[in-house]
Amino acid sequence: MLASKPPRSINLLANLPLNILLYAVLIIPLIIMIYLSFTDWNPAKGYDWYQASFTGLNNFARMLEDTRFIAALSRTIMFVIVVVTAEFLIGLGIAYLLLTEFPGRRALISLIIYPLMLPWVVVGMIFYLLFQDFGPVTNVFMKAILGEAATKIHWLLNPSLGFTVIMLADIWQWTPFMFLILYSGLSAVPRKFIEAAQILGASARTIFWRVQFPLIKPLVMIALVLRALEAFKVFDAVYMITRGGPGSATETISFYIYQLAIRYYDMAYASAVSLVLLIGLAIVIRIFVKYTIEKGGA
Amino acid sequence: MNEKSSRRKFLATVGAGVVGLVIGGAIGWLAKPEVVAEKTVTSEVTKTVTVTATVTAAPTSTVAPPTTTAPPTTTPTGLDPVAQRAVDAVKAMLASGKVKPGTTIKLLHAGGSRENWERAIELWKQYVPEVNVELVTVDIVDVRVKAMQEAVAKTGEIDGFNVMSTWIGDLVEAGAIRPIDEWFNKYDPAYTGPDAPIEPLGTYCTMYKGVRYALITDTDVFTLSYRKDLINDPKYKEEFKAQYGFELKIPDTWEETIKIGEFFTNLNLTAPGGEKLYGLYFYMEPSFAGYITWWNIFTESGGILFDPETMDPKIDTPEGKYALDVCLRMLPYMPPECLTAPWPDLYDKFVRGQTVLTAGWPSLSKEAGRPEAPVRGKYGSALMPGVEVEVSGRKEIIKAAPNPVNWVGTVSSYSRNPELMYLFYQFSTSPDIGLDMVLRGIILDLYRRSWFVDPKYRPRSAALYGEEFVDVYMKSIELSWPDLTIRGGPEYLDKLTKMLNSCYAGAYDPGVVLSDIAAEWDSITKRYGRDSQLEAWRAMIQLYPSHIKELWKAKGYMK
Repeated sequence: MLASKPPRSINLLANLPLNILLYAVLIIPLIIMIYLSFTDWNPAKGYDWYQASFTGLNNFARMLEDTRFIAALSRTIMFVIVVVTAEFLIGLGIAYLLLTEFPGRRALISLIIYPLMLPWVVVGMIFYLLFQDFGPVTNVFMKAILGEAATKIHWLLNPSLGFTVIMLADIWQWTPFMFLILYSGLSAVPRKFIEAAQILGASARTIFWRVQFPLIKPLVMIALVLRALEAFKVFDAVYMITRGGPGSATETISFYIYQLAIRYYDMAYASAVSLVLLIGLAIVIRIFVKYTIEKGGA
Repeated sequence: MNEKSSRRKFLATVGAGVVGLVIGGAIGWLAKPEVVAEKTVTSEVTKTVTVTATVTAAPTSTVAPPTTTAPPTTTPTGLDPVAQRAVDAVKAMLASGKVKPGTTIKLLHAGGSRENWERAIELWKQYVPEVNVELVTVDIVDVRVKAMQEAVAKTGEIDGFNVMSTWIGDLVEAGAIRPIDEWFNKYDPAYTGPDAPIEPLGTYCTMYKGVRYALITDTDVFTLSYRKDLINDPKYKEEFKAQYGFELKIPDTWEETIKIGEFFTNLNLTAPGGEKLYGLYFYMEPSFAGYITWWNIFTESGGILFDPETMDPKIDTPEGKYALDVCLRMLPYMPPECLTAPWPDLYDKFVRGQTVLTAGWPSLSKEAGRPEAPVRGKYGSALMPGVEVEVSGRKEIIKAAPNPVNWVGTVSSYSRNPELMYLFYQFSTSPDIGLDMVLRGIILDLYRRSWFVDPKYRPRSAALYGEEFVDVYMKSIELSWPDLTIRGGPEYLDKLTKMLNSCYAGAYDPGVVLSDIAAEWDSITKRYGRDSQLEAWRAMIQLYPSHIKELWKAKGYMK
């Protein structure tokens, strides 16, 4: 005899804590953020947020003229493309190489995923110190290659080089993440497919691109989406390595929003920028998921 | 099965009931009535500072604790009058029931001052054990964030904020802090007389738009630190004179500073740790302190940040361009990290003997004087270099000292015990207790004139800072000017810092950077309202030291 379904009131009460959490942490703040993006509220103006005057699309119009916002956004998009591509390619390469069994493979895997376990503050500080003018990159490695000319390279003073360091830090820390996902996917490909292809005379390269990779494609898409979303939010590496400098030349969009909201208290504009990003990202991700994962048959 | 389902039903019902109680309790607690800050009488405070050279008899400089822990029924002894008034006031409040025994007040402060405040609380407990003081210790940036959060949330959980004076405008306009004139006038924290904080700092750090909002708990005036052993070395003196045509000495001007920096950098000397020795290190970094050097030179040149009539930025002026030019010319003689490393790097390099001339907060002297510091015994302190300007046809060297940061004690508008919080501040900053507190920790420094000149206090000040520093520091405070304390001050300064840093790094055209900063500043002013900003700026410039105001008048910037 089946147990009777609990009454609806019990269902509602049981779900209540989760719903409260969802509304309190996500939905209500989102609604407030949307509201604020159409106002001029700043806590230093002396009135409460719900008393702020409606300013229409002023904040959004401001974004179009805000060169710092445009630069930060462009820089972030470039960051995502470069680091996700690099992490994917390196992670895939390492995952493929480690498919074959050899002595010490497990230990090597543990070593490979070690950066992933480090707090971002530690990673940021490591790279900050590495690339300082007194650090080993300039004084040991670059000097060995370029001689004294290496001392003229100031990694963190140059906007391009400084941003490269930030990307290197992210690639170093997050490639293991890609590796783990791709390795687990490649490991799960049934041996019979590979053996069948071998019997038919396919080369290792052909087997990889025609058998293994297509089978892990859905996993690859998920990994790329997850990593891209995380990379878009990059803040910690920027804060620790360059603090957005020199000037604001290495600011990413998250860092810029932090400056707006926390340093300048320009909450309304920060809300507008965040809203635009949220909508933009949602559209991009939806398109990506639709045309890759859904149509690809995940 | 029926039995199981009924048991399950029972457990589900009980669980739902518990959850409902918890949620109901939480809603009830959150919905408690808001504490509304009472308006206090505000009045413009005019101060007449009388500095006397009275030498008092020298009793013991430490505060004698009472020998009993029971609440005293008679007036406690061993306190200076300022602290005594605070204690008496608290006792009266306890006796009248205005404050209940066991009351706790909470002070939000930056981590670096924890030792200072713990000392103040230790002494407070000896005299007022009925009132507890709890410290809420956070990172420096978080102090401002949490204070502003309190302005929005109005919880009343924090009674006082120990904040940077730079933030006062924001906090006042946000309604986060309340005026303290009423208690200031009633309990007299000795802001006049021999124990008064050195002016103009005593006034400019604590007032906004003519109203007092804080008591001083610190000073942060810059002084020049220099390598005495190198500057006074006869061999270097001879070489320098031959090369530059004037004596190698403590620089009087920024032009002399550049030459000294060039000289020592080009000598290619090494520091004790083997690193290259640089002639100079002044703040140019991008996240916080980069504006200080430029503003120092700008002010000494007679520059004024905003037009007192229109609030238009006045930085793209000959004074602004000169200051930028000096900074750019100093750069080659500074460590490259000066443009990227956070502010403690300047300290680190000087203490390790890697720089010859530098400038920083008073804590730099404390760090350089540590027993393990390589420069211990080899450094000296002096006034900041000045700028030679022509005033009424006469050339003179104008010296002034920046005072960035400067922690002050403010009272939350939503505190349930604001008067108590004020009295704790008065107690903690009184002549005896205040010195005890300042000498105990790291980031809070001397501010009362008696701590510099009175034989009762000076030996203790000099023991920590050094005799030379104490004299120089007192003079520096007299020549100091306020950090930008108007609303939006941190944003104005941040934009200035970032864009200057970008220029120093070669990523921004020096020909346009100042005008671009001016444009950014103007948009900030527009956002906050030009009239309101002008009111605050006009009040602020009145608090500058007189020699700077005279210079502005001579240049026609001020009426």
